[in-house]
Amino acid sequence: MKVKLKVNGRLQQVVADKSLTLLDLLRDEFKLTGAKQSCDKAGQCGACTVIVNGKAVRSCLLKVAKLDGAEVITVEGLGTPDNPHLIQEAMVLAGAVQCGFCTPGIIMSAKALLDVNPDPGTEEIKKALRHNLCRCTGYTKIIDAVKLAGRFIRNEISPEDIRPDPDGPKYGVSHPRPSGLAKACGTAQFTADIIVPGALELATVRSPHPHALIKKIDFAAAEQMPGVIGVMTAKDIKGTNRLKYTVADRPVLCEDKVRYIGDPVAVIAAVTRQQAVEAAKAVQVEYEPLPVLGSPEEAMAEGAIQLHDDRPNLCFIQPQIKGDAQKALAESPTVIETHLTTQINHQAPLEPEACVSYLEGEGEDAQLVVIGRSIVIHKHLSMLQDALGWENMRYEEAYTGGQFGLKLEISSEGIAAGAALHFKRPVRYIPGLAESMLMTPKRHPFDMKVKLGADSEGRITAYDINIIVDNGAYHSNGDVIINRATQMLSGAYNIPNVHAVSKLVYTNNPWGSAARGAGPPQANFALECAVNMLADKLGKDPLEMRILNSLQPGQSKSTGSVVEQWPFPELCEAMRPHYKRSLLETREYKSGVIRRGVGLGAGAFGIGGPGDQAIVAIELDPDDGVTIYAAVADPGEGNDSMLTQLAADGLGLPLDKIHLMTKDSDQTTATGPAAGSRMTYMVGGALVNAAQQLKQAMKDAGATTYRELKEAGRPARYTGTRTTLEAGPLDPETGQGPSFESVVHALQMAEVEVNTETGEVKVLKMTTAVDSGPVINPLNFEGQLEGGADMGAGFALREQYIAGQTKDWVTFKFPSIKTAFEMESIIRETPRLRGTGKGSTGVGEMTMVPTAPAIISAIKDAIGVWICNLPATPDKIKAALQQRG
Amino acid sequence: MAEDKSTPAGNSSRPAGTGRKYRLVAGHKLLFDEEDFLWHPGDWREDIAEALARECSLEKLNDEHWKVIRFLRDFYFQNGRAPLNRQLAKGTEMSMLTIEALFPGGI
Repeated sequence: MKVKLKVNGRLQQVVADKSLTLLDLLRDEFKLTGAKQSCDKAGQCGACTVIVNGKAVRSCLLKVAKLDGAEVITVEGLGTPDNPHLIQEAMVLAGAVQCGFCTPGIIMSAKALLDVNPDPGTEEIKKALRHNLCRCTGYTKIIDAVKLAGRFIRNEISPEDIRPDPDGPKYGVSHPRPSGLAKACGTAQFTADIIVPGALELATVRSPHPHALIKKIDFAAAEQMPGVIGVMTAKDIKGTNRLKYTVADRPVLCEDKVRYIGDPVAVIAAVTRQQAVEAAKAVQVEYEPLPVLGSPEEAMAEGAIQLHDDRPNLCFIQPQIKGDAQKALAESPTVIETHLTTQINHQAPLEPEACVSYLEGEGEDAQLVVIGRSIVIHKHLSMLQDALGWENMRYEEAYTGGQFGLKLEISSEGIAAGAALHFKRPVRYIPGLAESMLMTPKRHPFDMKVKLGADSEGRITAYDINIIVDNGAYHSNGDVIINRATQMLSGAYNIPNVHAVSKLVYTNNPWGSAARGAGPPQANFALECAVNMLADKLGKDPLEMRILNSLQPGQSKSTGSVVEQWPFPELCEAMRPHYKRSLLETREYKSGVIRRGVGLGAGAFGIGGPGDQAIVAIELDPDDGVTIYAAVADPGEGNDSMLTQLAADGLGLPLDKIHLMTKDSDQTTATGPAAGSRMTYMVGGALVNAAQQLKQAMKDAGATTYRELKEAGRPARYTGTRTTLEAGPLDPETGQGPSFESVVHALQMAEVEVNTETGEVKVLKMTTAVDSGPVINPLNFEGQLEGGADMGAGFALREQYIAGQTKDWVTFKFPSIKTAFEMESIIRETPRLRGTGKGSTGVGEMTMVPTAPAIISAIKDAIGVWICNLPATPDKIKAALQQRG
Repeated sequence: MAEDKSTPAGNSSRPAGTGRKYRLVAGHKLLFDEEDFLWHPGDWREDIAEALARECSLEKLNDEHWKVIRFLRDFYFQNGRAPLNRQLAKGTEMSMLTIEALFPGGI
């Protein structure tokens, strides 16, 4: 039927079939891509929110056929980066924009609210934004932004009143992040927003079995489906067909065997995505099921089937031995023993794993271009070159809607780039949420058996931990995960005797890789719970226990590395008044159905691992500004702010004279992944080094401009490096050796409320005391703290990825604004000896390291039972209470 | 806690890890990655290059070898990455076939 509707003030006539959604009309026909699609059009995420007839609606749920006469406003109808709407400005100035994928939807919900209520309270904002999900911010700054927008709209203040002076100090100031307005105005193009006329759309046939032989693939029915252009299997991949991060075990497309639910088997290319998806369903794959290795125990059992021909299921072991833990435990008057586990979890970025690929040029000289979500474009380029057998390749990072570790790995790029080569046509591979979950790596689950001992005064004497890590079907960086956990095993404490064994085991479960913190959040859950259990048993206050046992400069970590700085006791003291307040407040809630508790968790997170190195080029431009050339992905943390503010500070330039070239493998340095909280310390350090070289060259030449420098015969481009002092791996027998050369410290306090009848836990407040050195951009910094604590709370209480069952944001139990809680940050800024600029490090991951143990300990404080198996769901809490009687 | 006896800690015959390792080359203790590339570009020296070449059965590096090696190093320090083949061929004014013949074990 024909429908007339107004979109952003422009009358449109649309002949729509009854299935056409408003979201598809806006994105596909009008190219208004500010409205995003995350949840397979199930109305779960709100990223597609627009305003229809004055009300905020999820455009994926609305059929165009029912919109005759409607007035639609999208984020593009509000403002542009040059002339933004006040709400768009407020979002940026409040620090509420991180990856930016949810931002347009949130802005539209906020507008609909502020149009009728320009002075909303927190609860009214939460109600208005109840359909909008955000993974980055923990919602705190989003609520702040809506309130700030209200003040702008009510003319109480203007953006100019609060915008930092761009000519003022660059360090320690919340200058708006350079990408903020583009994200808030919907002009930042994520991969699925890129227009590729005539591109083939792809869909993949994936294994429903965790372990099986592929006996036959029958495309007969699929090839007859409307719109189908062709099919692709492993035999069409011309390279190694292996995506090798560290071990060449993961195929682009499976040849003869599938090893987990979701393994890719075949690809369909069609004219439209829907046609490709439908045809993929019609592909008949004959499988012969194999025995399933459902757990590390099964995989290590005698006679277990070997998952990969060239390596055993038990594929990596790292011990750690310091002192004599067995003897020290035997001699300790107080010892606790426990068994803790963490779950397989999805990192849950909102953006699906979209990828675009095409050949640029002709014949064998053509360059294969891949556009996607990578946080390590050069490494992925090299993996793809080998896997696909095509050397002339370029990777461009689009705007990336969050990743939280999973994009350390290749997800959709192997298939998209392989298809572009196979079909010799541009392709778009825009998988939905369920498929994105299937194709991406997960947080490794840890099984940890622990003993922790103390002397009569409460000093920790020894730590014994036996860790089994379920690697899942493919290796990725499993050994790195174990090494990181081993490097940080003793956390904040002086533990003179340590015995640890960590084992990495292949199974038929979803494969693991990086996930915010990458190893330490799991291992630290065991240590921090054990410290609280030990304090319980000793009758000591957990805060005093931490101060007593804090490592001191001159003492060594579990790796044997001696530390030079350890400003952890000061954080404990900074937390003390908050802790006292909380203990007093919870005292009244120790009986009855609703009970409250307080718990502490600490973290000591390493930055700058042994052997890490970074390289950044900087070039003086003819306009006397500079361009920074480095592959610095920014999936939401604010690396654009970090680079811009550091360069402006170091060179004395205005912010708008700093240009970034960070997304194109043909233009950038290969400076390592945007992972491990390493960007400020490593890449920022290399940038400072490059800027110093440029500054020195200008000084030597007596030049103050580009022209003068060139006339003096000096180069305009300088390459800076940053290398950690120590390089080698841990000793494979003892786990002793060089460690991270800087450490971020944190102490978190959780305040929770537990319903003893339903088992429901409500986090009331998280207070985070943190010291990562001088802060470059306070709002970005707090944004990391808040988002990390929210993610940590999800890890502690709700989230879990169950293969075959977790398929969307509801089954994943994505944190919403309803589950959001109050947060307070206590920030200390001890300059680090080798920190970047004024002594800065990084904070992106540390923030969730202490959260789960703090929450679990608060639950124990409230109801007297330990929940040792994450997540602490209501069922587990009810069962624990019942068991206690 | 019951000790897991299946694989003792410190078992040096266990499956190999995937990380870096030190090797002695031309009298220097150097760190290499899992694919046997030098970990630190700054560790490179001509005598080390010659020793590594001998490991690859290249007894002597001639002018053409050095031209390729020097181009690769200059390119890296200018651009912070390895060149694509077309950039290598253009920069050395050699065909890839020639370069591959010069380094039969790979570049």
